[in-house]
Amino acid sequence: MSEFFLELFSEEIPSKLQINARNDLIQILNKFFDDNEIIIKGKINIYSIPNRLIVYINKMSKDVTKKAEEIRGPNINAPEKALEGFLKSNKIGKEKVIKKNTEKGIFFFYNKPSQKIKTYDLLKDNIASLLLKISWKKSMKWGNHDLYWGRPLKSILCLFDKKIIEFKLNHLQSSNKTFIDKDLEDEVKSFNDFKSYIKFFKQKGVIIDHNKRKEFITKEINKATNQKKIHINLNEKLIEEITNIVEKPKILVCEFNKKFLEIPQEILIITMQHHQKYFPTFDNKNKITNNFIVVADCKDKKGLVKLGNQNVVEARLADAEFFWNRNKSQNLVKQVSKLKQINYFKGLGSYFDKIQRVRKLSGIISDELLISKEKIEIASSICKVDLMSDLVAEFPELQGVMGGYFAREQGFDEEISLAVSEHYLPSGIDSKVPKKPYSIALSLSDKIDSLVGFFGINLKPTSSKDPYALRRMTISLLRLIIENQKKIKLRDLINYSINLYKEQNYSFDPKLINDELGDFILDRLKNYLKDKDIRTDIIECSINSHGIDDLIKIFNKSLNLNKNIKKDFGLDVIAIYKRSANILNSESKLKLDIVGSADPGLFKNDYEKNLYKKIHTIRKYFSSIGRDEDYDESLKTLSSAKIEVNEFFENVIVNDQEEIIKKNRLELLKMLCKSFDNYFNFSKIEA
Amino acid sequence: MVSKKKAKNLKAFISFQDTILNLQKYWSKKGCVILQPYDLEVGAGTFHPATTLRSLGPKPWKTAYVQPSRRPSDGRYGENPNRLQHYYQFQVLIKPSPKDIKKMYLNSLSSIGIRHEEHDIRFVEDDWESPTLGAAGLGWEVWCDGMEVTQFTYFQQMAGMECNPISVEITYGLERLCMFIQNKKNVFDLIWNDEGVLYKDVFHQAEKEFSAYNFEYANTDNLFKIFEMLEGEAKSLIEKKISLPAYDQCLKSSHVFNILDARGVISVAQRAEYIARIRDLTKEIGKIWVETQN
Repeated sequence: MSEFFLELFSEEIPSKLQINARNDLIQILNKFFDDNEIIIKGKINIYSIPNRLIVYINKMSKDVTKKAEEIRGPNINAPEKALEGFLKSNKIGKEKVIKKNTEKGIFFFYNKPSQKIKTYDLLKDNIASLLLKISWKKSMKWGNHDLYWGRPLKSILCLFDKKIIEFKLNHLQSSNKTFIDKDLEDEVKSFNDFKSYIKFFKQKGVIIDHNKRKEFITKEINKATNQKKIHINLNEKLIEEITNIVEKPKILVCEFNKKFLEIPQEILIITMQHHQKYFPTFDNKNKITNNFIVVADCKDKKGLVKLGNQNVVEARLADAEFFWNRNKSQNLVKQVSKLKQINYFKGLGSYFDKIQRVRKLSGIISDELLISKEKIEIASSICKVDLMSDLVAEFPELQGVMGGYFAREQGFDEEISLAVSEHYLPSGIDSKVPKKPYSIALSLSDKIDSLVGFFGINLKPTSSKDPYALRRMTISLLRLIIENQKKIKLRDLINYSINLYKEQNYSFDPKLINDELGDFILDRLKNYLKDKDIRTDIIECSINSHGIDDLIKIFNKSLNLNKNIKKDFGLDVIAIYKRSANILNSESKLKLDIVGSADPGLFKNDYEKNLYKKIHTIRKYFSSIGRDEDYDESLKTLSSAKIEVNEFFENVIVNDQEEIIKKNRLELLKMLCKSFDNYFNFSKIEA
Repeated sequence: MVSKKKAKNLKAFISFQDTILNLQKYWSKKGCVILQPYDLEVGAGTFHPATTLRSLGPKPWKTAYVQPSRRPSDGRYGENPNRLQHYYQFQVLIKPSPKDIKKMYLNSLSSIGIRHEEHDIRFVEDDWESPTLGAAGLGWEVWCDGMEVTQFTYFQQMAGMECNPISVEITYGLERLCMFIQNKKNVFDLIWNDEGVLYKDVFHQAEKEFSAYNFEYANTDNLFKIFEMLEGEAKSLIEKKISLPAYDQCLKSSHVFNILDARGVISVAQRAEYIARIRDLTKEIGKIWVETQN
């Protein structure tokens, strides 16, 4: 077996592009090896550090045997050029081709014999074009060259069993050499194989394998933090990114002046994490500390690196502190009217207009959630004021959160402050969902107002574009309702919101919004349910049976049926329903007007009577349950009709000769199906 | 923590003006045409025609210069230790980008007292776009021990045209760099020269007064009119195919727009519109410039 080793040296390639290139290369190479029947023992190893992208295959077939095959060439009547081309592409002379009769006429054929090809040759001929197949999410040109790459590519090292695979990629010629100093690119060294290469870099402290690098960083951080009895909150994305921007990681525990701990911790976190790629640390009570972790890319012999990073953080925090002190005392209520100067969206008024609508809308929601109308109205009025603060201008991600802090500083009730703080949440599928009723109410009304507005001015998402992130907003709306199990009459709220816009002289077509937004919400609900691994037929039936006013019902019933559908009683429910519905369907061609009310006077036997009685029991069950329906119980009640239904079908012929009896029996079955509809319409469930 | 005193001893103390002189000397030796700042208000060194226009077309070009940069919205009345509405950039532009440009850059840091072996120098992804110039590039911001000291960009597009060959632009934030070199936490404490003149002695009053002008006193009615006039002038010059004077009008209109923006009288929608208007001018001017190069 043979060894393949490729190293592409470039200027620093950003983290996302490294991941992009690694993933692409694996796929491209796998496909190429498959297509050419090259066997790989083990796997294709792809590693990266900012300046190097490395492919290493430990064991692969040295050569491949291509089976003999008959290749069809051009028709004998085709122009001479066609044959020339055929000969050329197969690298053969004219004496090698034969004529052969086929259904479509006489053709030239070439009987290609079985052939042994060297993997080396295959790679040599193809490696350049394979590398060009990497589809960089962002790529660039440099100098005078035409090559597109993630960042300027400087050298290519390519070896097969210690032998150079010579090829050209645009202006670059492959060799067995690479730059060993990434900064100045002064030193060049040649390598014979991957083993000596990785050994050499290991001695320099460079960890080539990104997986090992990540492990190392995590381990070292833990070691450093454990000593100080602090910890970091592992941020997977940040670790991943940092792993990809260093080659010889060195953990430095730094600190900033304790006085900055008085700034809200969200600001501290965002400053360190987002802007500087540092890890903030927390004590055992999960309170942020003035220590932070820097993953440097070199040893800090003179302590300059640590000092520099500390200075940077302190400068940034001094900036934030300056704004915090200024903003926290700026009176929220007095600023509300200034929101008139800030445009919410063209055609939807200013932020002042928006909060007037949100205030009234959340007032209505407060009735449903049994919370104080006065308090939720105050929260609504001040919830957008933080948009005018320096801090939100500086850290837009902290909108809402800052408003919450300002509210607390200015003595607003905690429920109000929290509602302001959380009113943008959840921001999508993974984010935290507010649990407190004031927060739920404010977040709901803010989102409904936005959705109605954007649909009102016809800026709804298209299949490919969603520039205002309305999908995400809708998923958030659904999560607010479903995950808090709140019964919210969405349709009423949408209509009320349309009226609120109308009061401000923004006239939308209520029917259009109701239809389009209603469908849009249900579509998102389908996706949401799919994500919960609920069967699509169940989702379909559940949504068809209820509207947007019954989101929790849709969710709970779907979830419950999905859980039980393979259990006995679940199977029974479906079987009963299917059997009855099938008969009704096959008879529906007769155009009998079946409405679902059988006449007991026409029953001829006990089987009919018993089923009739059973249906009444089911109906009684459903009319007696209140808001707290136990869906397990409901399904079990339905399945309990099994005996009566089976006996009915075993002993009664629906298709009676007497038309009136037959109709009555169909009515009875319809009644049965209707009683099942109390759960939902099961017709589309696949057995 | 390393004590302040110790840190001071570790660093060669280079004044603000010597930093500039050293960079000029360094890039001069690399064959750059050392220019003086463009004599109009601009937001960044990139706006200097020696960068925007010269990065277009096939002719090789190497230049380096200091450019005072005006960012009206960033003014803080001289009260913030890091923010200024007027600051200095040191700009290098080389076309086509040389293959050892990274080495040149790192050595330039050594020339001003930052030895790259002693620091954590990082090239952190930062792709650049200028909507007003119709320009885009890929590159990095360079971090020195966590402090962003330079923008390093390979231009891919300028004035709406694809660049060919590609220029590389290196923009040093001089104040930041000097704060790092001199270990100062407040920009106004920077030492300007060996006579002990400080940055605040030179610029504090200007920061205070211009912040007031930019945020409070600029006559917006007039500025709106001036913008129209400048745009009109640029258009008529474009018709006459005179690119450099047309570009001057474009730069002036861009600065007027920046002041209007700082005054908070431009709404989000209007903002996009004004930017598009300036970009349209730049694109036309870029075309004329390229045509007149042959």
